[in-house]
Amino acid sequence: MTAFWQLVFRHQKVFRRDKMQVFFSLLSIIIVIALYIVFLQNMQLDAIAQVTTVTDATKAMVNEWLVAGLLSMMAVTTTLGAFGIFVQDRDGHVSIDFLTSPMSRIAIQLSYVVHAWMIGLLSTVLALSVCIVFLGVTSGSWLTIGTIAEVLGLLTLSVLLASACNMLVIVFLQSQQAFSTFATLVGTLLGFLCGIYIPFGVVPSFIQTAIMYFPISHTTLLLRQALMEDSMASVFMGAPASEQLSYMLQYGVVYELHGTLLSTTWSVVYIVAWTVGLGIAGALLFMYKKR
Amino acid sequence: MIKVNELRKQYATHEAVKGISFSVAQGELFAFLGTNGAGKTTTMNMLCTLLDATSGTVTINGHLLGTQQGNDHIRRSIGVVFQQNVLDARLTVEENIRARAATYHLSKDTYMKNYAFVREYLQLADIEKRYYGTLSGGQKRRADIARALIHRPHILFLDEPTTGLDPKTRQFVWQTIKRLREETNMTVFLTTHYMEEAAVADTVIILKDGRIVAEGTPHTLKMMHAYDVLTLVFTDVMHGEQWLRDRQIAYDEKQGVYTVAVTSPLEALQLLKQAEPFLASFEVVKGTMDDVFLHVTNEEVVSV
Repeated sequence: MTAFWQLVFRHQKVFRRDKMQVFFSLLSIIIVIALYIVFLQNMQLDAIAQVTTVTDATKAMVNEWLVAGLLSMMAVTTTLGAFGIFVQDRDGHVSIDFLTSPMSRIAIQLSYVVHAWMIGLLSTVLALSVCIVFLGVTSGSWLTIGTIAEVLGLLTLSVLLASACNMLVIVFLQSQQAFSTFATLVGTLLGFLCGIYIPFGVVPSFIQTAIMYFPISHTTLLLRQALMEDSMASVFMGAPASEQLSYMLQYGVVYELHGTLLSTTWSVVYIVAWTVGLGIAGALLFMYKKR
Repeated sequence: MIKVNELRKQYATHEAVKGISFSVAQGELFAFLGTNGAGKTTTMNMLCTLLDATSGTVTINGHLLGTQQGNDHIRRSIGVVFQQNVLDARLTVEENIRARAATYHLSKDTYMKNYAFVREYLQLADIEKRYYGTLSGGQKRRADIARALIHRPHILFLDEPTTGLDPKTRQFVWQTIKRLREETNMTVFLTTHYMEEAAVADTVIILKDGRIVAEGTPHTLKMMHAYDVLTLVFTDVMHGEQWLRDRQIAYDEKQGVYTVAVTSPLEALQLLKQAEPFLASFEVVKGTMDDVFLHVTNEEVVSV
């Protein structure tokens, strides 16, 4: 095993053995599930009941809406949690030990990014596995191989974007306390900025516009489109297209920016552009901040 | 082994190191002393490639500090024991050392050989499977030193390695350093607040406000900056005091004990012969590195 992978392996071990850090990286997910059980599911079902009959397919669709939000949020919070090792190492002076070794600065910094990316991907894939079973058992609707492959691709993209975003931010977080505060804020903000805690259509239009420019919300959007495609077709079968579109706009399954419906391709390109941009900015910051 | 020439470090508004020059020979135990904020850690961080110097040149083991290639070679040549614990609390001692060894690109065979070496030197057998976070201060220090030696460096930097340790562990640390020097001819660069530790060094440098204020062997420094002290208790105090005044000897008196500074034990012997008729008891106390430090820095020293 090369020095680089040994270092990544070390970050993983330290992260996994810090049970509290793992727990807090999943805290926002637990909150989402709790909110969903308490009122989010019923709220959606009640709204749908006003335009069409609520069936098992409807419940499956609403569950998939939850799963999409949960997975996109998890991509961010778990990578951020994994990046906590970077802050912990710097705060606890562990990083200076690495810096006296002949390993290049870039390789050391990159090892944290790869570690965060791996934790994010592993966590979201594990969560997806659980969600597949959850969706199948609760509504008898099992995801197709094609949908699972599409979701896996989107999760990879989500984790890459989340890693790039988090990498840029954590460079400025100098202490564990600052990191914990930031992580708490992120968990809460994401719930709103990705239209998970409250439906997208409920917030004022200027906030909707801000959300549409927020790149991470596009991963939620794409995951919803991928997961809910079949169930939406079933639920809105026979209903006017405008009703389905209205639902999609209300619950953030599609965005309408300045009168134009944003396409899937548009969202993918937007995510990739942000990932590359943030990745370059983060790498430059990493390189110029030696300690 | 280490050559430092006109080394400077300027922060925004503060010059921490003001053009210091010194050299350290192979196998030497080099003690770097100074008051808090004198520039010891800044200098050590520059030598360990953690900080860029503002100006000046440093060569370590024949490699120029500050260039990419030079720094890489230097990092392979040095081992650093930091003042604070830098290993992972949630990894075992062995896991910690293995993870750090990987950063030196050691082959499996080399690692196994080196690990056996540090395991024996630092007596790791009883702690290697334990989590670093559960170890006592002394056990942690053993692990820290083992980590610093895992790639078998030529130079060992020790930043206040015995601060906060119990006497037994301090003794163990010093025995290990002594053995390393004897058996591997390792160069040791030490910063310490404990003057008794500096007293066993080959060369001592004392830093104040970023400048070298004293340099030499402990013996020469003591000759230059410390006095032996003769304490006297007289049977006849009036005669004793009169005798001191007659000879214009400066003295200090506390509760009947008279203290006189002498330049050598021989001078003390001559005084004792003269004072013998009215002398009850006496003691000659040799000058120490504490005295040297106090003299050149005009500061209080940390008592051991």
